[in-house]
Amino acid sequence: MAHYNIDAKKQMTYDAIVIGSGISGGWAAKELCEQGLKTLVLERGPLVEHVVDYPTMNLDPWDLELREALTPEEQQKHYKAIRSGFIGKSSEHFFANDLENPYTEVKPFLWIRGHQMGGRSLLWGKQTYRWSDLDFEANARDGHGVDWPIRYKDIEPWYTYVEKFAGISGEALGLPQLPDSHFLPPMELNCVEKMVKGRIESAYPGRHLIIGRVAHLTQPLNGRGPCQYRNRCSRGCPYGAYFSSNAVTLPAASATGNLTIRPWSIAQSIVYDDAQGRATGVRIIDAETGEWLEYQAKIIFCNASALSTTQILLNSTSDRFPAGLGNDSGELGHNLMDHTYRIGALGTVEGFEDQYYSGRRPNGIYIPRYVNIDEASRSDSFVRGFGFQGGGSRGGSQAAANEPGFGGEYKDHILKPGPWEFFITGFAECLPYHENQVTLDTENRDKWGQPTLAIDCEYKENEKALNRQIRQDAVEMLDRAGLKDIVGFDNQHEPGYGIHEMGTARMGRDPKTSVLNGTNQVHGAKNVFVTDGACMTSSSCVNPSLTYMALTARAAQHAVSELKKFNL
Amino acid sequence: MDRRKALKSAGVLAGASLAMPSLMSLLQACKNTPRLEWQPLFFTEQEARLVGSLADAILPRTDTPGALDVKADLFIDTLLAKAYPPRGQELFRSDLARFEADCQAAHGARFADLDESDRQAVLTRAEQESGTFNRGVWGTAVGEQKPVGFYRSFKSLAIWAYFSSEEMGENVLRYDPIPGAYRGCIPLSEVGNRWSL
Repeated sequence: MAHYNIDAKKQMTYDAIVIGSGISGGWAAKELCEQGLKTLVLERGPLVEHVVDYPTMNLDPWDLELREALTPEEQQKHYKAIRSGFIGKSSEHFFANDLENPYTEVKPFLWIRGHQMGGRSLLWGKQTYRWSDLDFEANARDGHGVDWPIRYKDIEPWYTYVEKFAGISGEALGLPQLPDSHFLPPMELNCVEKMVKGRIESAYPGRHLIIGRVAHLTQPLNGRGPCQYRNRCSRGCPYGAYFSSNAVTLPAASATGNLTIRPWSIAQSIVYDDAQGRATGVRIIDAETGEWLEYQAKIIFCNASALSTTQILLNSTSDRFPAGLGNDSGELGHNLMDHTYRIGALGTVEGFEDQYYSGRRPNGIYIPRYVNIDEASRSDSFVRGFGFQGGGSRGGSQAAANEPGFGGEYKDHILKPGPWEFFITGFAECLPYHENQVTLDTENRDKWGQPTLAIDCEYKENEKALNRQIRQDAVEMLDRAGLKDIVGFDNQHEPGYGIHEMGTARMGRDPKTSVLNGTNQVHGAKNVFVTDGACMTSSSCVNPSLTYMALTARAAQHAVSELKKFNL
Repeated sequence: MDRRKALKSAGVLAGASLAMPSLMSLLQACKNTPRLEWQPLFFTEQEARLVGSLADAILPRTDTPGALDVKADLFIDTLLAKAYPPRGQELFRSDLARFEADCQAAHGARFADLDESDRQAVLTRAEQESGTFNRGVWGTAVGEQKPVGFYRSFKSLAIWAYFSSEEMGENVLRYDPIPGAYRGCIPLSEVGNRWSL
């Protein structure tokens, strides 16, 4: 599949430039290419061709000398990201090098990055949920942050549009706080999850336990195969069963003949022409040679991931924008959000010893938000809300190590699956605080001599109150479901663990208090669009990637339409 | 037990004169602790014998393979050599030494040289004195993890080495690299042993 032109140097001018090739960048590339724009995608890391560049996709544990363990050198290379618990030998190559790409934690913050074609779309959790007006109206309702310039009705057709192409499996429920997607058939709950569902739903009218809504195919779609239930997603999927830029959007963009991807291209800054009052291109550093180059285009999409996009904008100074491109409001870099992470409960389930499952389902259960959704569910302790992810399974090797015993009888016993366990873990909405921010750190520079980011972010009282409620509710629900040995937990993780960084270049109605308008255009530089996590005005409590996809497709259509009217 | 130590412990080197037949019978006694048949990357020979005998005592051969059949001790050695940073290596080494010293103190011999009932006594005590791992969610343990002690850590390592070996993974545990479908509720009897992947 050699349809990418990697010898991009000779052509310096395009209709559009997209910075970044992850979830939102892939969508920008697809939409712009399909609308006939010659589009250059700048990717700071290497090419990752679908299937061809998934070296570990079929390896069994014993095929790896150290199984999933990392060498001390690899542990050093990922000395920050390793905190997530997600990095193993089979996916290590899709996590960025923390030594070459340092950042400063003014307060503790975990920043997980994927520096390759496809970005973190190769690594994401695939949980896909629509936001609702409960989310888009939240800031206006309780006065935190600024009002979103859009409502659900503005984005609803774009959700449908991206879902039909991405492929989302799930079950329709008709809940106003969690609108249904255009669904492929749902995955199945296992017997313990069905039992817990029944007990929670009868103990708490209005609460629901559903199978996760996920960007995994459960039926073939556009030449992609359905999930084979190997659960080796983060190595790259040979079937293209889950949504990634590599398997879905970039091949579609490439098929138009309009796509050029330039790997090893670090976007250093966006070039703004004071005389024309518009951006004219992107200055890059070739990551391999250190060479500086400048590409020109009529429109520029920033999709480098929330914090990287803001880093580029902050680094893009001009006479017109001395504090960073589009930073008239002083809000660029501010209002950083994530979801709180790893607060919940787990327990063991009695019975079902003669029941098991087959297949490794890359998905779990979801309990949609049930607090602060109406007057009856209003909390006096906090604003906003939370949802739970979780699941049931039979104990693994760690559980076997905990079981007392040794010797032949013990060994034969642990060859059988362990006891059933079930957990739920909450994700709480984080408020947009001006003081939660990133700034350019000119003291600490990266391998290419560029300023790095200093991240100064913390959870405050509202998030802590939400977390207390999450833990309390989790323990109570598992108790009502009849579980045993229930442990409530709050790992007190710092922001970033949710890997849902949002904000720092928010959308808004007023240029004085926001960076982007209602179609994701930078105030004062209308031909620059930001459609990754940076654009988010609030954080909801549900996973954000589907909303990035929909906002990107919507903004791309607007960009092309404005371009045709000569408005950009 | 190596030959030099055997002789020393019998007082041979101290000058006592023993008839040849007695010496031979003494050496016969060491036959159940044969020399290591592989070259460790990290462990000393004594450490490797401890690791092997401990893994074997926890996961012995029955009608299914034991830890040594699937070379769990070799994997643990490789892991120590290639995946442990220097600090972790030192800790592991000092834990092994302490475990061995405790065996010596309680039973007068290295663990590898203990008979079955003494090994059982050592492991029963270790099992009682060890903490347990917190349960985890998606790769991270929940709550504050108290130290579990060497025995529990080692047991976990041995089980990991054992379960993730090719022989166990493909032939003993239920192997299905490409399930093709998810069925959430099936009789355990359809599967048998736990899934290997």
